[in-house]
Amino acid sequence: MNALTDNSLMLRVKAGDLDKMGLLFERYNRPLFAFFYHMTHTTHASEDLVQNVFYRMLKYKHTFTGEGEFRTWMYYLARNVLNDSVKQNKTANHYDVNEMADKIGGGTLADEGLEKQQDKDFLHKAMAGLSEEYREVLILSRFQDLKYNEIAKVLNVNEGTVKVRVHRALGELKKKFFTNERR
Amino acid sequence: MGCEHNKEKLTDCLNNRLSKGERLEVDNHLTECIACQEEFAMDKQLWDSLGKMRIPEPEEAMRTNFYQMLDQFKKAEKADESFSWQHIIEKIKDFVLPQWSIQLAFSLLLVGLGLVIGRKTGKDNVKATDYQQKIETLASEVEEMKSTMMLSLIENPSATERLRAVGYTTEIVNADERVINALFTTLNNDDNVNVRLVTLEALTQYTSDAAVREGLVKSLLVQDSPMVQVALADVMVKMQEKRSIKALRTLLKKEGLNDLVKNKIEQSIKDLS
Repeated sequence: MNALTDNSLMLRVKAGDLDKMGLLFERYNRPLFAFFYHMTHTTHASEDLVQNVFYRMLKYKHTFTGEGEFRTWMYYLARNVLNDSVKQNKTANHYDVNEMADKIGGGTLADEGLEKQQDKDFLHKAMAGLSEEYREVLILSRFQDLKYNEIAKVLNVNEGTVKVRVHRALGELKKKFFTNERR
Repeated sequence: MGCEHNKEKLTDCLNNRLSKGERLEVDNHLTECIACQEEFAMDKQLWDSLGKMRIPEPEEAMRTNFYQMLDQFKKAEKADESFSWQHIIEKIKDFVLPQWSIQLAFSLLLVGLGLVIGRKTGKDNVKATDYQQKIETLASEVEEMKSTMMLSLIENPSATERLRAVGYTTEIVNADERVINALFTTLNNDDNVNVRLVTLEALTQYTSDAAVREGLVKSLLVQDSPMVQVALADVMVKMQEKRSIKALRTLLKKEGLNDLVKNKIEQSIKDLS
């Protein structure tokens, strides 16, 4: 239904119907939280960052033209919020691997074997070992399900660069997951 | 198709970014190439595992905080809106204030004069001397109008308006006594230091007038702001006004004089002696 697309909701917000931002929050607070959590691995900081993104969307609503996808604009702002936060040293820009392994290790489900759980730990560690640039493209393409052209707009690079970056990021992750981290 | 080229496609394949034709090509290659099959299996395992990575749930406080922030933002926007109404009302008030009327009258006068001159110049029989005379009349009328505007604005309660009034004097070539007196009254009595400084600057353009030079020397003893005192001392040196030495010395004796001002005045006395 056209009346409920992200773009039309954001355009309503821009026109002054600020309550529509509530609907966008309900749609995107989880994906945004996941994006920040994967990038920082800190729950509270991620919650604050989500709040900051919605605040910026309200503050800079006039800059939303409706020509591009709302999601692209939102992740573009999200990335800026994260960068600013890193600059202000409020958020660690990389995982604390040990802290993370402790947290993940505590979440074992009854039906999961030890090996399976270890795999998950290795995967978290491998993700943590990636450069921010690689981690970012993997998160956007795998978890946020953004298309290459959308990621290109978020990162302000061309689509070919994104394609290569995703390929290399996956290669790097594979190397870390299947070799280095298991030693 | 070579393996290297296909490796990139394997990632795209996982991402579901391939067209049907490309997908078919990859599938065909995979059936033939064991190495790529193994690689793809590893990629797929990793890709699927990534999809299963669990993240914690954000706390409910995140939602509560968001709606609080939204409410605050809405209130702030409303306040801004009412502020803009106030702004508009003030603009209307400004419009009916005397200084605007004067400016409007001034503009109308200029337009009127322009029209008159335009009509006159259309006629061939008007002599050049007449033009010259008319332009001179016009110039003197404009100057007179500026003086009137300056005099009416200089007593305005708003410092901005007073600054504007002083600014007009830069366009008045032959300032009459009323204008000079008004400038001195402002220089010696205005509450605002900035207005006093601008006024001093405006007065320096008339220093060829002996009365102005004398007025500036007298003003030295009236000023209490260190900034104005320093600026006046500079003007004295620039004018090489030797009569000011006495006033500067008196100023030096003043109690509670700022050290910087003291040094500046001593230097000025040296420069003038």
